[in-house]
Amino acid sequence: MATREIQVGQQLEPFVIESVDPEPMKTMAAILQDPNPIHFDPASTVALGLGDKTVNQGPTNVTWLTEFVQRFAGGAEQLVTLRIRFLGNVLAGDRFECTGMVTAVDADAGTAELEVGATSDGRPALGGRAVIKISD
Amino acid sequence: MSDYAHLAGHRFPGGTYTLAPWLSWLWSDACKLEPDWGTAHQGLAYLVALRGAGVSIQDIFDLMDATADSGVVFGEFQVDYHGVLRPGATYKCEAEVVDVERKSGRRAGVFDKFTFQVKVREQGSEDVTVVCTNSWIFPRAEGE
Repeated sequence: MATREIQVGQQLEPFVIESVDPEPMKTMAAILQDPNPIHFDPASTVALGLGDKTVNQGPTNVTWLTEFVQRFAGGAEQLVTLRIRFLGNVLAGDRFECTGMVTAVDADAGTAELEVGATSDGRPALGGRAVIKISD
Repeated sequence: MSDYAHLAGHRFPGGTYTLAPWLSWLWSDACKLEPDWGTAHQGLAYLVALRGAGVSIQDIFDLMDATADSGVVFGEFQVDYHGVLRPGATYKCEAEVVDVERKSGRRAGVFDKFTFQVKVREQGSEDVTVVCTNSWIFPRAEGE
C-alpha cells in the first residue's frame, strides 16, 4: 500500500472561478427543478433586498469545493467525507476561490483531514472539513 | 408559534434514480468543469440523493409551509463517500427527516433548521455508495 507524503500545515492549490457566470444558473435551476427565482430572475433578488445579481445554486458551489478537494486528494475515489457550512451567497460576477490546509494526518488509517473553505469576492461563502484517503 | 419538530423521523417515499449520462454531462458543464461522458462528478451526490428520496424541493417547501420566495437557504451539507457515482447507474435511496430545530440568531432572526439524510446504494448492491445529510434554513417571522 503506497501512502502519499502529506504534512500538517500543507496548503492546497487554490481553485478559482474568476467570474461566476449567471447563465449556467438557469441550466442548474432546470436540472434541480428548483423553483426559487433568485437563481434566474434578478427582479426577485431585488425584491428580497439581495441586490440585482442572481444567486448561484448551493450545489454548484459544493461541486466546486468537491472538485477542489478531489484534485488535491488525487481523484474522486480518494474522498471520504466532505462537510460544508453555507456562510453566504455567491452572486453572479463574483470571484469564487477555494482554499484549504491539511490539519491532521493519520498514517495508520491512511487518511488526512483538511480544513477547507471558499470566498466569493472576498466574502465567506463556504466553510468546512474534509477527510481524504492518502493511501492507494 | 408553529413547531415542526414532530417531522423528525418522517420518511420520504424513497425509490430509485437513474443518473442519466446527459444530465451528468450537463452538470459538469453548468459548473464550468470538463464534462466527461464516462465519469459522474461526485458533486452530483446531492441531486442523486434528492431525486432518489422521492421528494422535490417544492415538496420540502410544502412540508415546512414555505414557498419558493420565502428565502430558504442551505445550512450545512455532509457527504460520506463509500464509492463513486457512475453515469447510467441506477441508485436506490432511503431518506428521512433527521431533525427540525427552531433557532434564532441576531442576524438571521428566527428560523427552522431542517435536516434530512439520504442513503444511496447502487441498485442490486447492499453497499452504500454515499450518505448525504442536508440542512436547510427556513426563515420565520416572529410568532410564525
